[in-house]
Amino acid sequence: MFEWLITPLSYTFMQRGMLASLMVGVVCSVIGCYVVLRGMAFLGDALAHAILPGIAIAYLLQGNLTIGALAAAVAVALLIGLFSRQGTIREDTAIGILFAAALSLGVALISSIRTYAVDLSHILFGNVLGVSPSDLRLVGGFGVVVLAAVIILYKPFLVISFDPVLAATLRWRTELLRNMMLILLALTIVISLQTVGVGLVAAMLVTPAATAYLLTRRLPAMMLISALIGAFSSLAGLYISYYANIVSGSAVVLVATGGFLLAFLFAPRRGILWQRLRFRIRKK
Amino acid sequence: MRKIIPIVSVFILVALFLASCQEATVNTSKNGQTKLKVVAVESFLADITRNITGDRATVESLIPLEMDPHAFEPTPKDISKIAESRVVVANGAGLESWLDEAIQNAGGDFILIEASEGLVSRKTHEEEGEDAHTHEGDPHFWLDPKLAIHYVENIRDGLIAADPDGKETYTQNAETYISQLKELDAWIQQEVSAIPPERRLIVTNHESFGYFADRYGFRVIGAIIPSVSTGSSPSAQELADLVDLIRQTGTTAIFLETGANPKLAEQIAQETGVKVVSDLYTHSITGPGGNAPSYLEMMKYNVNTMVSALK
Amino acid sequence: MMEITENRLSLIHVSAGYNNQRVLNDITFQVPHGAQVAVVGPNGAGKSTLFKALVGLLPLQSGEILVHGLSLTNHKDCVAYVPQRSEVDWRFPVTVADVVMMGRYNRQGWLGKANREDKDAVRRSLSQMGIEHLANRPIGELSGGQQQRVFLARALAQEPHILLMDEPFTGVDAATQEDTLALLDQLKAKEVTVLVSTHDLNMAAQRFEQVLLLNRRIIAYGPAKQVLTPETIQQAFGGRALLLGDLAVVDECCPPAEEG
Repeated sequence: MFEWLITPLSYTFMQRGMLASLMVGVVCSVIGCYVVLRGMAFLGDALAHAILPGIAIAYLLQGNLTIGALAAAVAVALLIGLFSRQGTIREDTAIGILFAAALSLGVALISSIRTYAVDLSHILFGNVLGVSPSDLRLVGGFGVVVLAAVIILYKPFLVISFDPVLAATLRWRTELLRNMMLILLALTIVISLQTVGVGLVAAMLVTPAATAYLLTRRLPAMMLISALIGAFSSLAGLYISYYANIVSGSAVVLVATGGFLLAFLFAPRRGILWQRLRFRIRKK
Repeated sequence: MRKIIPIVSVFILVALFLASCQEATVNTSKNGQTKLKVVAVESFLADITRNITGDRATVESLIPLEMDPHAFEPTPKDISKIAESRVVVANGAGLESWLDEAIQNAGGDFILIEASEGLVSRKTHEEEGEDAHTHEGDPHFWLDPKLAIHYVENIRDGLIAADPDGKETYTQNAETYISQLKELDAWIQQEVSAIPPERRLIVTNHESFGYFADRYGFRVIGAIIPSVSTGSSPSAQELADLVDLIRQTGTTAIFLETGANPKLAEQIAQETGVKVVSDLYTHSITGPGGNAPSYLEMMKYNVNTMVSALK
Repeated sequence: MMEITENRLSLIHVSAGYNNQRVLNDITFQVPHGAQVAVVGPNGAGKSTLFKALVGLLPLQSGEILVHGLSLTNHKDCVAYVPQRSEVDWRFPVTVADVVMMGRYNRQGWLGKANREDKDAVRRSLSQMGIEHLANRPIGELSGGQQQRVFLARALAQEPHILLMDEPFTGVDAATQEDTLALLDQLKAKEVTVLVSTHDLNMAAQRFEQVLLLNRRIIAYGPAKQVLTPETIQQAFGGRALLLGDLAVVDECCPPAEEG
């Protein structure tokens, strides 16, 4: 009866793909809570695309592609902070400009490398089938680092997100903490390249957390529910992609979005349809 | 300030005028004799063509060495190279999907030789079982030396049409080369016979070895990318099916072309324990110092590699 | 514990402002241990700027601020601040109790868990502000007055040595005003140094032992009777104050743009 569940797992490449997807789903969803609460969705997407020039340059220098991606993400994150801190342009505008610039630079470099062996489409949409044991170690290692940091820095991140004035009053270094959050976000995006790719990682950062927001009242619960949703979407998406022959990244995002729609309509107290139904029942 | 605008405008107009004048379609060699300008899209085609033209022409190749032609997109520079040539040699049969548009854009006055003209495509795995909705077929004819002879004939005829004075040279060179190709064919047959028939199983990166397999009695178990182009990606099930097939048939090696992404092959190798042989030259020759500096060398190197892996 | 030093808070030639503009000019004054000071002045005088500088939100352009004789950076817990309008995200998933507990974070450290002492402090603050029944309510579901009480409760939970309140009497209902005044009395008993900014000159005169009259620089500082004279009020408020016998009415309209 459970054969359909077991069959994909009999291949080690699928096992690795599942583990990687699972880890990425959980990490994205947890740090995604801050992305959603701080309104950083656009920033997350921009960082993801900013990785392209990093990969291209790393390839040209014959260096490690992951390090190139990480360096590019961190550089763009800090640049956005720099541009918008001057106060002359809004953060939204700064992100838009740097996003487009990084993307263009990346595409230009990649198109100039005429013997590019790594598939551009894999970078954009993920290649969960290509997770080697060393890739899995990387995803696992970085993933654990990000989760540990989010747990350890729970209080500072909570305060700088909710009430930066209090953070100053408590004499905490808001700027430093914000940069650390951006670096963790960059790490998360880099490990997500493998499974969902640059084009879709923003969805994994936002959708499970947004769903969890509708279902919970407090941040710890929100993070837990978000992680569960992320994990489930990743696994379900992978199974769907196996049996329906579609790209895994898209399947994962579609499952997560489906979850969000359900919560949007039916979440207790906050769901739209739930509210309407309740109203009708009350009237009677 | 007022004078600058007209002066700059004149400069711009002059520059545009000069740029629109095309270079002559022939260039002059040291003897003062005009040489035919030929451009071949792929490097192995350039090599074959050179063997036919001898000194009568300068033959350049468009796609850089060791680059995957399925992924090639011409730049404006490439288009102008085409426009400046008298003869353009392409593989045809769908290998160069960008060719029609490029030819329209290039303008100029040249003769296009489709080397594979007249050859009939074999059935690929893509087309089996469904209506042949792809009119592409499998363009990898050149990996069978007997079919490469057709290439030589087409190229020879095209060159004669472009440069009738060279008819004798071209005919003679072609004949010489064709006999070399026949020798190659015989040699391959001999080498391959060292592999027991049940081990003549190939898994490739994409479906490029069809004609080679047909000619020399190999069986292409499957391809990682089940397509004649490298553009698509396998699904999880397709990969799983391939793994099962490899286990069932006892295939011992996966052959990758240079420029292919080894990731998926390595995954399969992890799973099944097969060897990954990653330096077959199929879509391009190498530079003079490399393993496959000419078409003939390329075929020999490939066969040696395959034989030693499968024996 | 509360150190008995001569001056809880000292400002020495402090200047501060935004974007290279100066709002506060050469401010020097001391606040003794346990005193309660009303900070008054017209809009744009720099009252909020002063508080932000005291809290560390604004870097000083010159001068220094000392607490217990040491510079501000040495004190992690001493100063609590209740801004006039909290610029927080009201849709954040936190309850009232969560917010008040944030005041205790410096005592716990980043990794520490809330212990008995912390929980008691939170409970005490909530009941002091009369919102104990709202402890598990998400803050988005509170009314304006209740929200203000939450932030006051948080400041109390911090058990600060110095409490800054930016216009706590402006725009709140009478009940909250009364409760805030009662709170000030309780704080006086605990010897917490308090600085409160207000428009209400009469309340300042009646309820506060010290008054700081400010308009970008110190006009006057000291006991209310000395500070709030017709001359000084005229100096500080220009034409915007009306004196009727013992009563002063301040025109609160149209604040200039520079007030931070």
